[in-house]
Amino acid sequence: MNTNHLSAWEQEEYILDERTPQMLRHLTECAECRAAVARLEDGLGVYRKAAVQWSAESLASRPQQVITARKQPVVSLRWAMAAVIPLVLLLIALLPFRTSNPRPVQQTAQIRDDSRDDALLDQVDEQISAAVPSSMESLTHLVSTRDSAAAKGSKHLVQSN
Amino acid sequence: MEALEQFNYPGELSPLRDRMIAELEDVNTLCATYRSRIYRYALLSLKDPDLAETVTQDCFLKAFKARKDFRGDCSIATWLTRIATNLIRDCTRSRKFQFWKTAGSTALEAGDIADRLRSPGISPENSLVVREELVKVWDAVDALPDKQRSVFVLRFVEEMELPEIATAMGLHVGTIKSHLHRGLAAVRKAMEKTR
Repeated sequence: MNTNHLSAWEQEEYILDERTPQMLRHLTECAECRAAVARLEDGLGVYRKAAVQWSAESLASRPQQVITARKQPVVSLRWAMAAVIPLVLLLIALLPFRTSNPRPVQQTAQIRDDSRDDALLDQVDEQISAAVPSSMESLTHLVSTRDSAAAKGSKHLVQSN
Repeated sequence: MEALEQFNYPGELSPLRDRMIAELEDVNTLCATYRSRIYRYALLSLKDPDLAETVTQDCFLKAFKARKDFRGDCSIATWLTRIATNLIRDCTRSRKFQFWKTAGSTALEAGDIADRLRSPGISPENSLVVREELVKVWDAVDALPDKQRSVFVLRFVEEMELPEIATAMGLHVGTIKSHLHRGLAAVRKAMEKTR
């Protein structure tokens, strides 16, 4: 009988299904190693049983949830975004035209007003600088006569002095 | 494993992948088939039924959204487990979870679960022994680091093969073996305390 017992590592290797012929031969011959391996296997078996039972009980108390319900809004949201984005881009593209269109109209109106004002001022200038009306011409003569008389008078004064 | 063996034939990969994607399309059937498994994994990893439920829901939602990206190089169960693993990791990293983990206690939980364990056909004496053994194993598994515990659960509760666990966890098979040896050593140590 082989008295070299399986090491802890070898027992674990056996449990992990990494079994060599020497291991198997030893286990058929050695009751002590067989008991040690069986004890570890039993402990793992009980753990598995308890874990499966606990999980099953916990899951049974929870309602089955439908997952497909969450995918539909994502798809429709994508379509909505696809429809909205071109509209927004179109609005952005049209915005400068809307603001720039009234500007030339205002400018031309202002130019028209300015030219009208200029024409009016020209007319006023013409009227001011125009010759005195014929009905008032005698008055201008009077003024010019007096002016000439004053000029003559001053001449006399200079001569008398 | 049956699905994995078929991947050795690249010519048959595409039809098999198409079949798997078709299976992923039917989310209700998918849930009915894998819900208990994913929920159990999340529950044993997080120890919180509400969080486990959230993770399970998110797992199926993510799987459904990413169904076109499924390459078919592993079974659906393994792929779902991988998604769940990432979600569980995100959960355990959150500060909120860390707070409740610190504030709460799982000491009563092991006893409660052992009390509820149904063992028909076992004598009261043996039932008591089984209960004591379970509390020790349960506490030992609880005390494992998160990653080690996840690997332990996938191997000894879900009974997954080592390469499947490696795919689901995104680790090498050697690393998985190392985690399992450490987990088993901790369990053995806990069980030997009574002797």
